Amino acid sequence: MNRNIIIALIALLTVSTWAACSKNIPVDEDGLLITTRKDCFVSSFELLGTDYVSVRVGAATIDTTALTVNVKVAFGTDLTHLYPQFTLAQDCKLSPKITGFVDFSDTLHPKQWTVISGDRQVHKTYSVIVSLQSR
Amino acid sequence: MIIHSKYNKMQHRTQYIGCFLLAALSLLAVSCKKDEYKLPTASNKLQDQAIKRTLGPNIVGQQIEFAYAMAILPNKGKLVSCTAEASIAGDSGTWMENKSYFTDVNNSGKDTGVVIGSPAVTSGNTTTVTYTVDTSAATLRYYYVVPEAARGKTVSIKFTAKSSDGEMISTTMGPYTISKMDMKLNLKVTNKTLMYISIGDMAVYDSTGAAAHAGSIDLVYLYRTYSTSTFGHALVAPAADTTYLPGVILPSGVNRNAKLLKVFNLRDHNLAPDEQYGDTFIDDIDFEKIDLTGDPNYAINLKQDAGVWVETADGKYRAYVFVNKVATNTATLSMKRYTINNAK
Repeated sequence: MNRNIIIALIALLTVSTWAACSKNIPVDEDGLLITTRKDCFVSSFELLGTDYVSVRVGAATIDTTALTVNVKVAFGTDLTHLYPQFTLAQDCKLSPKITGFVDFSDTLHPKQWTVISGDRQVHKTYSVIVSLQSR
Repeated sequence: MIIHSKYNKMQHRTQYIGCFLLAALSLLAVSCKKDEYKLPTASNKLQDQAIKRTLGPNIVGQQIEFAYAMAILPNKGKLVSCTAEASIAGDSGTWMENKSYFTDVNNSGKDTGVVIGSPAVTSGNTTTVTYTVDTSAATLRYYYVVPEAARGKTVSIKFTAKSSDGEMISTTMGPYTISKMDMKLNLKVTNKTLMYISIGDMAVYDSTGAAAHAGSIDLVYLYRTYSTSTFGHALVAPAADTTYLPGVILPSGVNRNAKLLKVFNLRDHNLAPDEQYGDTFIDDIDFEKIDLTGDPNYAINLKQDAGVWVETADGKYRAYVFVNKVATNTATLSMKRYTINNAK
């Protein structure tokens, strides 16, 4: 009798554990949570030099309609070694990922990054246009 | 009969639990019992101990400081002499203090020295202090000035103490690797005068000196202010675009290039000894690993505590130039310089 109760309890525990673990939490290929948010924009932008100090002159101008980020950097900035930092709308992610210094010296061909919304359905590609302050 | 058997089983189980609890309580009691502290019995032999007081890389021309403690039981004898023997003879200035220091609690904890022997005598690799007072314990400081002969090699120091009962004890410290790099502190540069810097010579020249050493000038220091941009203090290679050398007329033959990488808050303890910074030390390996490929030939808007990694045009030297101080039209720089073995 007792044995039957114990077996029943173990079976119940196993089933409930399996049920608890089998929840389908949506994550993307980076292991990031996929949410229902559709917001998809850049809210602020920073550029750091090799010394990890900001090289911006004034705030970056972000146009969420034209999908551009215009930023002026101080005279003498080495455009080949700049570290961009994006602040995005909640749950968004950036592609390609920023893994180190980026070469912005080809000003005729601005670097581009795509912002992807929290639900991973909206993609918006921003161009970062860097201009150099004159002496 | 069945009832009796069940009763017996229960009785056994109760006995087992009782035994287990008793054992657990006994263990608890034993584990809580404190052993009474006993003063350790001092060894009746001559004893010693040494520490290296200097941190960071061991650089040619700089001191490495040691403290060597020795003691013997007073009823066995007194200290007679203390010797430090270096595997490579120290440079001039190598010495051992003939004072033993203690912390004076009546004088704000000041490090106070008491003379215990005659001044140190250095002969070749060996420095000796002979005791002149009757003492059984002392700690002497030894300062080894790293000689040129030790560059890139290892150095060991063997400390030996002797006591009046004929005992002798030794401790060997090291081996310590001596850095290949050089260091120069507090080079003062001024706008439009002392503005030409040679990494190879680790020196600053005016225009006349620069013309005489044209082949070794790697950087130009300048200070400019503009209403439209922040130029400030700058280090620029002579071959850089004239945009970065406004108003500079280079002496004849001064035309070398260099690669520069600007950093901030890399405050090397050796280069900023007066500023009490932490334990950051730039060592040979940092120069070996840094990659300045593609870096520009100028660094402008340098502030105090900024630094610049430099590689000379011929690839012979890499250096780290630290900005100790800045003021209008002037700056104080310190540098560590490393010679690249496989330079072109």
